[in-house]
Amino acid sequence: MYGYDMADSNEESMILEKMKRGRHSENENEENEEGEDRLSDLPDCIILHILSFLNTKHAVRTCVLSTKWKHLWKRIPTLKLQSLIFSPRKHFSLFVSKILTLRDSSTALHALDLDLYCHGGIEPQLLKKILNYVCSHNNHLQELGIRVSGDSNLIMNCVSSCRALTSLKLSIRSGGSFNFENLLFPKSLNLPALTNLDLTRFTFCGGENSLVEPFSAFIKLRSLVISGCNVRDAQTLRISSETLVNLTMLDDSTGVDKMELCAPSLCTFTYSGMPTEKICGSGLSSVKQVYIDARIYTTCEKPPMTLLSWLLDLANVKSLTVTSTTLQTLSLVPDLLEVKLLSLCNLKSMEIKLKLPEVQPGFLYILKEAMLEKAAAKSRKEAAKLRREFKAGLQPHPVPDGMVDFLLQNSPSAKVDITTVYNMSVC
Amino acid sequence: MAAEKSSIKIITLIAADGSVFEVEPNIVKEMKTVQSYIDELDQNTVSIPLPNVFGNDLAMIIEYCKKHASEEETKEAKEEFDFEFVKRMKSDDKLRLLQAASYLNMESFLQFMAKAIAAEIENQSVEFVRDYFQIESDFTPEEEAELRKENEWAFK
Repeated sequence: MYGYDMADSNEESMILEKMKRGRHSENENEENEEGEDRLSDLPDCIILHILSFLNTKHAVRTCVLSTKWKHLWKRIPTLKLQSLIFSPRKHFSLFVSKILTLRDSSTALHALDLDLYCHGGIEPQLLKKILNYVCSHNNHLQELGIRVSGDSNLIMNCVSSCRALTSLKLSIRSGGSFNFENLLFPKSLNLPALTNLDLTRFTFCGGENSLVEPFSAFIKLRSLVISGCNVRDAQTLRISSETLVNLTMLDDSTGVDKMELCAPSLCTFTYSGMPTEKICGSGLSSVKQVYIDARIYTTCEKPPMTLLSWLLDLANVKSLTVTSTTLQTLSLVPDLLEVKLLSLCNLKSMEIKLKLPEVQPGFLYILKEAMLEKAAAKSRKEAAKLRREFKAGLQPHPVPDGMVDFLLQNSPSAKVDITTVYNMSVC
Repeated sequence: MAAEKSSIKIITLIAADGSVFEVEPNIVKEMKTVQSYIDELDQNTVSIPLPNVFGNDLAMIIEYCKKHASEEETKEAKEEFDFEFVKRMKSDDKLRLLQAASYLNMESFLQFMAKAIAAEIENQSVEFVRDYFQIESDFTPEEEAELRKENEWAFK
């Protein structure tokens, strides 16, 4: 049945002819005839593909490889400009000027990655020059990443003109290095094709009904990352999206009480920070993969209770990753181990990340205080005993007693991994 | 479109060296070159010759496609697979697979291979890159020096 004989039928030999040619038939004339180099005999478009992943400085250097490569870099559809790899700074200015004038202007710009964080900020003229170039090449610009300290108005104006964007990553520090205020996220930003949005240190400003919904204009959004962002003049942050699949909140400091999450396609949820927002709406019920790195900065009941409420919402999660500080935070819930979970029923795997150095001293202090308070609620004797033990060097255990069994009460056969991480970054 | 495809149960791919691979339709979805021919045909089984791809390479590509088409696998597991997949390859393999990906018109696999190759030449000297890809320079030393001077803003 699967026997194949190409002489058998005309149709099949036709397929063979077609398949021989493949997709690059149209480029055949362009290819060099010698074809002896491993890379150079690839069609230009493939080489450009490889070059587009390189830092632009290194991509330009390929011009001396051979004649074929001499002008190839001018047709790379991406620009990756990092000021940090240039020293002194004036070399970077020269480089940018050269690139922008020598680059083949008929080649569409698909992606721009601008990393201009440097001490004392970027020269305003240079930033202006780059942004002007972007504005005049924004028709096909799909991916834009800007990490810069500079004039935020100029940058946001430029961003809003790039209507074809599918991916946007912004981290802007305006007004010099010592300004730690978040940037206001514009309400008018309308990027209909956007699928990936990554914002660092923005403020979302609320409307009249004490509710803020910053992302409703992005109707195709699939992945959202908000890092160190906060909310002003609102108690509720609403994220409502039919298309959203990945939600990441890092260094969470939104400060809101409630997060209304209406995202029926949501599949992954990644979180780091102090959980204070109760999640309502369709919430986390559709989520399959969860990563939580929770911690507390003050002694109060809210973060542990919020954390528990999130876990209760995880009806369909298959893979759960938590850090030791998350478990420690959770352990502060009064009578936690008596709580009967109705969620976490389909868990396939759980990973516990032990963070080293174990935890920050501030967190340890809060943890000990909370444990003492809990003990004191039982009896004064118990509290005194615990206090003595702390004095003698007892540390809160990274994986509090009974915690693994508690989380796996409805999925006893889930695989458990305990790994050690040596820095505080996510995953 | 979905209704048409559902009639095809199995697809036979025949590599340049004659080795035969039977795969399910969802595996070749990513191979647009193959998919476009399947869409044109109206049969239960299809045999497709791939005269530009060798069996070993095709086996690796299929392995990659199977992993990535699976809904069971987590994102992390797929990333780990990608990491190991690249790790066990020599630079020759990567270039061959890149060409195969281009021929099969596999967008994300092409992207994946191009990125892996870029990672190897990133931050390397011109000499390294030339060596690495066995590019024979057709410049005289003087011409090359001239070019470097002309573009010295990129060599600082």
